[in-house]
Amino acid sequence: MYSNSRQIQLFWEKDVMIILIQNGKLCTMHGKAFFGDIRIKHGKIAEIGVGLEHKKHEKVIDASGLWVLPGFIDPHTHLGVGEQGIGFEGNDVNEYSSPITPHLRGIDAYNPEDTAVLESIQAGVTSVAIGPGSANVLGGLFSMIKLRHDSVDTALIKEGVGMKSALGENPKRVGRDSSRMPMTRMGTAAKLREALFLATEYLEKNERYEADPENNEQASFDMKWESLIPVLKKELPLKVHVHRADDILTAIRIAKEFDLKFSLDHCSDGHLITDYIAESGATAIVGPTLGFRTKMETRNKTFETPGILNDAGVRVAITTDHPVVPLRELRICAAYAARYGMGQEEALKAITIYPAEIVGLNDRIGSLESGKDADIVLWSGNPLEVFSEAKLVLIDGKVMFDALSDS
Amino acid sequence: MILIKNGLTYTMETAPEKMDILVEDGKIKALGHNLNVPEDCDVIDANGKMVFPGFIDAHCHLGMWEDAIGFEGADGNEMTDPITPELRAIDAINPLDRTFEESRNGGVTCCASGPGSANVIGGQFAVIKTVGDRVDDMIVKAPLAMKCAFGENPKRVYSEKKKSPMTRMAIAAELRNALAKAKEYNEKLEAAKDDPTKKPGFDMKMEALLPVIRGEMPLKAHAHRADDILTSIRIAKEFGVKITLEHCTEGHLISHHIAEEGLSVVVGPSFGDRSKFELKNLTFETPGVLAAAGIKVAIMTDHPVVPLHYLPMCAGLSVKAGMEEEEALKAITINAAEILEVEDRVGSIKVGKDADIVVWDKHPFELDSHVLTTIIDGQVVYQKAE
Repeated sequence: MYSNSRQIQLFWEKDVMIILIQNGKLCTMHGKAFFGDIRIKHGKIAEIGVGLEHKKHEKVIDASGLWVLPGFIDPHTHLGVGEQGIGFEGNDVNEYSSPITPHLRGIDAYNPEDTAVLESIQAGVTSVAIGPGSANVLGGLFSMIKLRHDSVDTALIKEGVGMKSALGENPKRVGRDSSRMPMTRMGTAAKLREALFLATEYLEKNERYEADPENNEQASFDMKWESLIPVLKKELPLKVHVHRADDILTAIRIAKEFDLKFSLDHCSDGHLITDYIAESGATAIVGPTLGFRTKMETRNKTFETPGILNDAGVRVAITTDHPVVPLRELRICAAYAARYGMGQEEALKAITIYPAEIVGLNDRIGSLESGKDADIVLWSGNPLEVFSEAKLVLIDGKVMFDALSDS
Repeated sequence: MILIKNGLTYTMETAPEKMDILVEDGKIKALGHNLNVPEDCDVIDANGKMVFPGFIDAHCHLGMWEDAIGFEGADGNEMTDPITPELRAIDAINPLDRTFEESRNGGVTCCASGPGSANVIGGQFAVIKTVGDRVDDMIVKAPLAMKCAFGENPKRVYSEKKKSPMTRMAIAAELRNALAKAKEYNEKLEAAKDDPTKKPGFDMKMEALLPVIRGEMPLKAHAHRADDILTSIRIAKEFGVKITLEHCTEGHLISHHIAEEGLSVVVGPSFGDRSKFELKNLTFETPGVLAAAGIKVAIMTDHPVVPLHYLPMCAGLSVKAGMEEEEALKAITINAAEILEVEDRVGSIKVGKDADIVVWDKHPFELDSHVLTTIIDGQVVYQKAE
């Protein structure tokens, strides 16, 4: 039966607060898979065990023959910000008008009606980071959301998971086309450092004022520098788009100069300089790998990268960079990473617990563990196999997609 | 000479079975069981492996857009004139681009490559093998078809130049005008057989359209939206020319019309961003819906939109979305060959056809499958390291 994503129904089972998933193959992301049960109460995983007793008022879901995994997580997307099926009117990914726009926020452009949201739920994805593109040297704020078909404010689980920055070809191409700096990698790095210097000066001026208002002046409000303060204080990582090895090293150099937390996003040449990356303490968000090498800086792109970095001790997640690769194909990206050396167990972690750790939300999402959010997906088989389908998707304990009742 | 022994072989002619394949002088010489091993014959032990014909992509731009280079390697769209039938893919394909190696290492041995969709008439496609250092030696059929395009691409490209076409009306008018002029050119040429003084002055664009007008070569019509697909059919019927439907993204919404017209469809790329309005109904369900309606369907990657070696993945995901597995295999083998009219040479494992054969460690639709050996024209062009 042809089923356009617009026809997928959302099930808001308001009255069912307690669910018992029985007899599924539980891939918790902590240790080996085993056959067991999960009890869900009020949107959280209350208990995981074997042979849990069925209690009154519990809805029972028979997961016999099914695999049970945490919902998938993509820590770098433009879901809802660059809407699918629409042209300019739905594309809010890049504020080309200036290279330094750290004060922009992805949440102010996110459209939950993006048809990709429901499709991604159907493919087992339950939470993603959303934010600006890579046209700008400093692009704005990435936030973490649950995939819900309502307002971004309700879907939001963490407002700041990254301050987007970009090095390499994209910012300089935009600069060239607009006849303004940066037009070179030197210009890009200078713009970034200048912004960090100015934000530091702004912060220090305000700290002096707060310590001694009588004898000091407050800095006049500047939204750009204000938005960089959490980055300077290491509360918000710099999320640096980089492909080429030297651009990765530039990111490391600048992060070290300003003592920042940072992630290396895309990290296409990462496998060529694993030692430097491991030493730097950076996390790596690798992808989108399934696609053409469109630019010189992507000419070494390979699915071997996540496995090689993971083996070197770098904390790695796999990303689609939706819509570059559609978010619904995240599991296919993980399958290829597994095939090209990462192995299935680690590749599954790279789309669950590892991205949860990278965005600082592993207390809530990324694995099947008592106390975590009930973001749970029942699969017909190994999700990394081509024909597997998500049969039931729960987000915060609510049934978001149900193909179990049909069969 | 090569003998491929004992592999579970999908000939695409008969039911899959374990068999031996003897390859000689670039062709499939014999099929059978327990074939004698001739002298001076290399033996490939395919026991426990699966053997398929080399896969065929009926619509891509392999070699037309070079890997990782921008403008300097982009030769698929001559965006200076919307009507360029005189352009030939063979004059721009770079067979030394590394995507050729990746494609044959991924089990794709043959493809139809040609111009993009910026122009209303883009130029001539060619069918080529995915190995060689000189494109002229790689040709299976050239010219194959005349690329034409409807929908957003031509009008977006030419709107920016403030030139026609800026609307779908103008796209259709440009195509009809070109075909009408070519028809007139053809009539004058035929009349001039009796009176050479009546021969029209040489016109390269008109010359290129003659095989289309004469029914020898099809239009290869890029269209996503349902109405654009139907416009392409309307025009083909008006001029009595052959046509194949390419992409056909909304084809599943009008499958009964397509089936009625008896046309073949090359569907894809279904893996990808719905980046334009005309792609809003893109789905992997399309090839299966069309095949179930009795339409001959091939599946494309549209490389580089999806890199060519992902062709089996595209077929596998079509099966997941509802296509019969056998139909999906046909869509990247014999159906593609038949739509390109090269089935005398490729598309199945049959005595007399080109020895384009690939040995896999498991079913090519599995995401963790590997090509073990690729043979093109009877030569081993790829062997997986142990």
